[in-house]
Amino acid sequence: MRLRRLPWPLVVLVAAFFVPALGSRFYTFVANDVAIWALFATSLNLMVGYTGLVSFGHAAYFGIGAYTTGLLMKKAGVSFLLAFPAAGLLAGAFALVFGFFCVRLTRIYFAMLTLAFAQIVWAICFKWNEVTGGEQGMPEIPYPSFDWMEGLAAVVPLVGGYRTSEYFYFLTLVLVAACLWLLHRIVDSPFGRMLTAIRENAERAEFIGINVRRYELAAFVLAGGFAGLAGGLFGIFNRGVFPDFVYWTKSSEVLIMTLLGGMGSFHGPSLGALVLILLNQQIVSYTEYWPLVLGTILVVLLFGFPGGLAGAAGALWTRAAGRFRRA
Amino acid sequence: MVVRAFLVMLAAVLALPLGAEAQKPIKVGFPMIMSGPGALFGEPAAKGAQMFVDEINAKGGVLGRKLELLVRDTKGNADEAVRVSRELILKENVDFLVGTLTSAEGPAVSVVAKENQVVFIAPIPKTDQLTAPDKLHPYVFRVAATTTMEGRSAAEIVAKWPVTTVATISPDYAYGQDVTRAFVEHLKKIKPAVQIVDQQWPKLGEADYTPFINAQLAKKPQAVFSSLWGGHFVTFAKQAKPLGYFDAIKYNFIGVGEAASPESTKSMGKDYPVGIWGNSYDAFYWEGPPAHKDYVARLSKYLRDEYPSSWAIQGYIGLQFLTEAIRKANGTDSDKVSKALLGLTVDTPIGKQTIRAKDHQANRGQLYGKTVMDPKYPFAIMKPIEYVDPTKFID
Repeated sequence: MRLRRLPWPLVVLVAAFFVPALGSRFYTFVANDVAIWALFATSLNLMVGYTGLVSFGHAAYFGIGAYTTGLLMKKAGVSFLLAFPAAGLLAGAFALVFGFFCVRLTRIYFAMLTLAFAQIVWAICFKWNEVTGGEQGMPEIPYPSFDWMEGLAAVVPLVGGYRTSEYFYFLTLVLVAACLWLLHRIVDSPFGRMLTAIRENAERAEFIGINVRRYELAAFVLAGGFAGLAGGLFGIFNRGVFPDFVYWTKSSEVLIMTLLGGMGSFHGPSLGALVLILLNQQIVSYTEYWPLVLGTILVVLLFGFPGGLAGAAGALWTRAAGRFRRA
Repeated sequence: MVVRAFLVMLAAVLALPLGAEAQKPIKVGFPMIMSGPGALFGEPAAKGAQMFVDEINAKGGVLGRKLELLVRDTKGNADEAVRVSRELILKENVDFLVGTLTSAEGPAVSVVAKENQVVFIAPIPKTDQLTAPDKLHPYVFRVAATTTMEGRSAAEIVAKWPVTTVATISPDYAYGQDVTRAFVEHLKKIKPAVQIVDQQWPKLGEADYTPFINAQLAKKPQAVFSSLWGGHFVTFAKQAKPLGYFDAIKYNFIGVGEAASPESTKSMGKDYPVGIWGNSYDAFYWEGPPAHKDYVARLSKYLRDEYPSSWAIQGYIGLQFLTEAIRKANGTDSDKVSKALLGLTVDTPIGKQTIRAKDHQANRGQLYGKTVMDPKYPFAIMKPIEYVDPTKFID
């Protein structure tokens, strides 16, 4: 099939750049939301899908990233150029410390410990009023400066004349695309294959000489770092950082996205992010019983399509392709 | 699929402005907690707003246009509140926002309102931060009490008690800390002889208050100030009563955070520590201004509840201020309505309320009183009950 050979990620990226041109500011916000959550969910999938480590506390690193960027940009006046990588680095550093303890445990104990660490981070964010603003969080995180874009517009046509929120959307697209590309390189590398080997059979991997704990810790730190980058973007996008970002419900939300989209494929979590955000936005307009709808969808999906939406789409595609060939 | 759904939605959005301008309803977005524990307060607030809208529409609306209320669930999350507010402003094209409940949602939505230049009236968040000088902008207003007003009101009452040693017990987070600080500072100012002998800070949502209760009793305070709100107060009181806590302090206990609201006393029934003091935004049994009795009768019918909620009034007043401002501005232009709200006085069911031009804050007092059992009701009520006007000690 020719269609299959198209560089789909690139097509989606290019298409995404045209969302503001459709004229609806609202859908630019939705697309921005989706892009950030896609990165967050994909970072989690590095652990859940590729290494077989189920984390219930991934929001901790998202939140640490959000607070890092928020604090640096709002309180210290640091430029986005520095504040953004700082979010990833600090979240990664915390992931190194927490992960050091977590990877010593397996299965449910591992999951519970990730949750425990996340709740500690939440408690700190919730209570440390002087620094994090406590329950009230930190509203009014400034947007990065896009003056240089306006300057560029004088020379290059078509790049100027957008709103700040739209420039930020373009920036998000570029950064998220770069991060996803990096993550894709990571899971395709020999290192990524090792992670898969650990997921399939950790004992056997150990026998062939893989230091399982060290590899798991590396996956943990990378996942935490990328989640931190997503958080850094989200704080600015949301115009404020709040302790809700670190609460366990955020961890479950991103886990649901990953499962919904399909943890068996690299782009599954991104698809999950897109579907969940659109569903949420549509259903919330009609009813407050949104968790009921989501629960039903999840049950159907988990029983009918264990591979998530991506898995289901793949199966349908193969069937359609087979029929096409026969005809 | 997604693309098609997207295009359909887009078409729907684009088709909207084609309607005739005069008949188009004035849209008001109402982001509020409608699910989870916070819905106990959010839902009645939304109902109160809806009742106001239904009533004014039955009378022909405002400036010949109907009001339309669009309620959205914030789920108690600041980021979800931002998300639905953007949806309301950019997709539903609402003209105004009234809503939010928590002290995180209020300031978060305030930023969105500022960036989109939409007037936003907060009916419930109490944090001083919302209208603090560095956060204030032309589009944010509040018709709720603030932590400063609430703490100081309680201090005014405690100052009249014949006590000199006072203790506090409050949840350890922004609201508890702010309201307790306001109480302590104001009490020391108006009655310097008072000594604060103990301060307990259980965490928010604490399940076992016993250690805090015992520690506090050991310090032998004559009176206690508490800001454990809603269900937290219920949990606390149920544990404190059998330990003889209220007897030891001779019921010299004042609970802010609506500890004496009809909802709280109703939910505890005979377990309520009758004899303590508390506050509430409203009380159906309060014989306030003449308009109040009529309001309660209408609300009772609207909610089909013999003892209607004390939170509905907040949604009601929020919409009432907005409507009066639209009338005064003779249109829905954000800047004109924002200006009309400055110094605006409205005759609400609880009496005259004014939004101060200085800080966009209404002089919203609350009802305070000592709880007693009344044979007419199966739960405690405040008697005597008093509306404490904060105008004198707001600054």
